Amino acid sequence: MTTIQGSDVKKVVVACDAGMGSSVLLTSQLQRTLKPYGVTVEHAQVDRVPADADVVVCHAGLLDRARGNLPDKVVVGFQMFMGDPAFTRLEQAIKEGETLGG
Amino acid sequence: MSNQQTHERMASVRSGIQRFGSFLSSMVMPNIGAFIAWGLVTALFIETGWTPNATLAELVGPMITYLLPLLIAYTGGHLVYDRRGGVVGAVAAVGVIVAADMPMFLGAMVMGPLGAYLMKKIDQVLQPRTPTGFEMLVNNFSAGILGGLLAALGVYVVAPAVTAIARGLGAGVQFLVDMSLLPLVSIIVEPAKVLFLNNALNHGVLGPLGVARVAEEGKAIEFLIETNPGPGLGILLACMFFGPKISRATAPGAIIIHFFGGIHEIYFPYILAQPKLILAAIGGGMSGLATFMVLDAGLLATPSPGSIIALMAVTPRGDHVAVLAGVAVATVVSFVLASLLLGFGRSERRAEKAEKGAAAAQNTKEATS
Repeated sequence: MTTIQGSDVKKVVVACDAGMGSSVLLTSQLQRTLKPYGVTVEHAQVDRVPADADVVVCHAGLLDRARGNLPDKVVVGFQMFMGDPAFTRLEQAIKEGETLGG
Repeated sequence: MSNQQTHERMASVRSGIQRFGSFLSSMVMPNIGAFIAWGLVTALFIETGWTPNATLAELVGPMITYLLPLLIAYTGGHLVYDRRGGVVGAVAAVGVIVAADMPMFLGAMVMGPLGAYLMKKIDQVLQPRTPTGFEMLVNNFSAGILGGLLAALGVYVVAPAVTAIARGLGAGVQFLVDMSLLPLVSIIVEPAKVLFLNNALNHGVLGPLGVARVAEEGKAIEFLIETNPGPGLGILLACMFFGPKISRATAPGAIIIHFFGGIHEIYFPYILAQPKLILAAIGGGMSGLATFMVLDAGLLATPSPGSIIALMAVTPRGDHVAVLAGVAVATVVSFVLASLLLGFGRSERRAEKAEKGAAAAQNTKEATS
């Protein structure tokens, strides 16, 4: 399991199957919550996540693919597109500089 | 075999299918703007369109025969081997396009990546052996010769084969329509959607089939199979009224994003959380398709994203009522089924009560001990 300190997170990438639908929706949501901490949020296709991503966020249904593609990155999975506790945890970890694993 | 192993194998099969489907759809999806342009031009200017205009209708044929398949071939090649792959892929696809007597999307999806892959392999052999100063000469001519060869090969070998396959698939769909069996595909399509194969199915399989039918018949029901927002809307509505507490709170926002924004992914988690709801999606999908079939509804292009606005925009003149009827029927059926499956919220209320009861019991227990 890879981990990262919340304070080291500079770039979060939201990945989805096509990289142009649901990931864009989440990107604009996360941008709003994470901007105050100097974190940039981008969206990508799950097979083409940019190398400089610190944390990758994707739906639980795509986790196997994301982990397979990115063995050395922290991949955060979520269930619901809105109000999932995973997003609160991510924000919390970045805000408080806590360790984030996944 | 242990459970753990079975689980891992299932997961790898699933991501394998996802990945292949993703490859197919990522050849098509970046070009959807071009499909929409073509769909709008067709809806407006052909003889049966809103404002028939013979001069502008000239756009329709070349766009669907050459532009769209070439864009797909280029994008497919680009995925495999960057811009160089895209160029060779597009050249390679021309042969299939010219030789076939139907729009050759399937052929473009084969030749684009194939041309790029071969170029990559040839470069791996040639480039290390190229003397300094001859790189440009060798690169340009290796790409040109390979592209030309593949295009010629496409005319004689690939086109007949791919045409036969495309005809076979099209005939398969036609058979289902003729036998009134088309609604049965929902049994496959709806669960596959929820497993995040939605783009693969719609853009990788149904889209190319639909385009071939549009070229022949002026509209295609294939575009409505995966993109009907009705089943998802019904489920979200049911969750809004009768779902677990957390879904009741988020469902209204999800409904807007799903139905108007067209991001269907947003309703998948509600089904994944309560898998029995897939029955409602299947029922909704089947009844919607049956309605489309009876009313002879069809679309001109893939509505992407699957928003009601996109659906209406690519509906041919005169079909709007039929399309709306199919969406409405799917919504109602899926809503009723999902509400039944959720027990109209009864089990949810019971669970909440039980939880409260358990908490109370816990409190008394702690107090007495």
